[in-house]
Amino acid sequence: MAAASRKIIHIDMDAFFASVEQRDNPSLRGRPVAVGGSSGRGVVAAASYEARRFGVRSAMPSATARRLCPDLVFCKSRFDVYREVSGQIRAIFARYTPIIEPPSLDEAYLDVTDACSGGTTATAIARAIRREIAAETRLTASAGVSYNKFLAKLASDQNKPDGLCVIRPGEGADFVQRLPIRRFHGIGPRGEEKMHRLGIRTGADLAARDMVFLRAHFGSAAEYLFRVARGIDLRPVRTHRTRKSVGGERTFGEDLRDEASVRAALATIIDLVWERIARVEARGRTLTLKLKDDDFRLHSRSRSAARPLEDKEDFARLATLLLEQELPLPRPIRLLGLSLSALQDAPTGSRRDAAARAAQLSLF
Amino acid sequence: MKATLERATLLRCLSHVQSVVERRNTIPILSNVLIEAEAGGSLKVMATDLDLQVVEHIPAAGVDTPGAITVSAHLLFDIARKLPDGSQVSLEAADNRMTVKAGRSRFQLPTLPRDDFPTIVEGDLPTTFTLPGRLLAELIDRTRFAISTEETRYYLNGIFLHVSDGENGSGPVMRAAATDGHRLARFTLSRPEGAEGMPDVIIPRKTVAELRKLLEEALDAEVRVDLSPSKVRFTLGGENGVVLTSKLIDGTFPDYSRVIPTANDKLLRLDPRLFYQAVDRVATIATEKTRAVKMGLDNDRVTLSVTSPDNGTAAEELAAEYAADGLEIGFNANYLKDILSQMDSDVVEVHLADAGAPTLIRKNDQASALYVLMPMRV
Repeated sequence: MAAASRKIIHIDMDAFFASVEQRDNPSLRGRPVAVGGSSGRGVVAAASYEARRFGVRSAMPSATARRLCPDLVFCKSRFDVYREVSGQIRAIFARYTPIIEPPSLDEAYLDVTDACSGGTTATAIARAIRREIAAETRLTASAGVSYNKFLAKLASDQNKPDGLCVIRPGEGADFVQRLPIRRFHGIGPRGEEKMHRLGIRTGADLAARDMVFLRAHFGSAAEYLFRVARGIDLRPVRTHRTRKSVGGERTFGEDLRDEASVRAALATIIDLVWERIARVEARGRTLTLKLKDDDFRLHSRSRSAARPLEDKEDFARLATLLLEQELPLPRPIRLLGLSLSALQDAPTGSRRDAAARAAQLSLF
Repeated sequence: MKATLERATLLRCLSHVQSVVERRNTIPILSNVLIEAEAGGSLKVMATDLDLQVVEHIPAAGVDTPGAITVSAHLLFDIARKLPDGSQVSLEAADNRMTVKAGRSRFQLPTLPRDDFPTIVEGDLPTTFTLPGRLLAELIDRTRFAISTEETRYYLNGIFLHVSDGENGSGPVMRAAATDGHRLARFTLSRPEGAEGMPDVIIPRKTVAELRKLLEEALDAEVRVDLSPSKVRFTLGGENGVVLTSKLIDGTFPDYSRVIPTANDKLLRLDPRLFYQAVDRVATIATEKTRAVKMGLDNDRVTLSVTSPDNGTAAEELAAEYAADGLEIGFNANYLKDILSQMDSDVVEVHLADAGAPTLIRKNDQASALYVLMPMRV
């Protein structure tokens, strides 16, 4: 039973961005802090635990956060610093295992199965990592230890902040049974609402439903739900995460009403996104334009080129083409974004087609 | 405006102009046709998508009140289609409505004022020449399949038309070329009078398609072409015929002449129809969009084969004239079929160099059409 014998640790930094700000600015310690734009349309990127007590959450509009917590202190995000700290903690992980999957700056899955073969336990490694993070970064992290990624992540969330939780083989199914459905990775507020409508409130409720029911209501997510309701997750810790898209968007301080300002805004986003594409050396064929109007309705339009967009000019031309189709604007827009997908080397079903395309030689 | 005309006349005209009108329009008036009843007893019907416009004059049974109005092109076309054959249609515009009456049917359609209807400013069109309709149709047929649909290389989204001095004392020529970067089609005709000094132009794909449709009814007529570096106008059927005016693609077509091989020393000659059918058969099992077919050339023999990871293998042997060294080369089956289906002769010449070099395909060295195809790695 290879799957059952795996040892996986999930490390999650506590209120990462906000904690970094409190660490670097002593006057913020003990106070409710939010990282993110405080202007009319800013969004909270991270909230300190003091702020969370007032109900402030990440991704919440800053205006809402301020209403919930009038004393909230807003800090501008400093991604350079966060990236640097993230590098420090990844260096600590690397002392214990080479199999590290960091889904974002502030968390990582570690497969320590091999590291434990010498007699050390995964729990001991998790303790050591938390200790080293605290000593070297003056920040706290929570750790979850279990035999798969899904349970390890649930565990790290269990005793937050500055906590440790272990779910041993054999305990997974029981642990999941008692959980409210919202704690399951991938189930957000909408998913929770839907589950509640269907009479599912806990892991046990979910496990009581059969595959036919799940498929009828959740489509392609059915298999995932069926497995995790039983504490089963066979996904490996992947050191090379294949990126599926590269993109970016901007919410504007004031709604864009006329074509000239939309075009100007698009030019800015083209620069921004192309810079990201160039940095990660992504090559993709599908470009998606995203627009949110003043009524918060989201539209997106996408178009695929026959071959990956190789230079900024091609990229800009396709982006402009997508925008032109939306003009004149039926309503003012508050957000504009672009993302490039169908990336080459992405594990999609079209890999063989891509290979065949590459086999076709060109005249020019 | 009030006019009466034959249903058949109206239907034929609308079938010409309505395809210019895009189905989805953000500017409402672009969904409309402009109908202008002229005192002389004829109707002028016009449609546009801002890049391309078509104007047609049709005879009316009677014009009671001259005037002009715009009305939904697709609605009017659908109505005309469903009216009984042989009926007389009356069109009358009043109070922001157009009333369409025929027999016992009566429609009231919303209208938009004619003054809002955009027309393409042609400007000066200094180059003028005429071409027989049939020749222009052939020029389009032989090249349009190779037009690129990839919008990132917009300058390949049309047929490139230019004049040149010609080679080996053939006299001055006019050439049409289209390519998508994988294959190239070129059609040559002797330079028509008036085309000397003509600017190089790229005629957009949609214009090519609309023109080809109109030519179907004008194969035996002369087509007048007027152009400038930015616009082209095709006049079919004289003053009272159809006039198609289009913007040209503003871009530089690549110097395609450098990809036409001149020293390919391996010549394969075979029947294009049998070749087409064999390629089509073995490609049945190919699953990828590109449908790679491998060609093994040996003494007077071609072996076509396809290997599919999902569907097994296919092979077919064909008799051919081939005396050069053996060669294995792969092609996209669809590209090969596109070219072979252009051949109206009993023999096609395939000039090869090696498995990675452009291959020249033509009827013979006298043929007006010439094709270049890049191989696939197989």
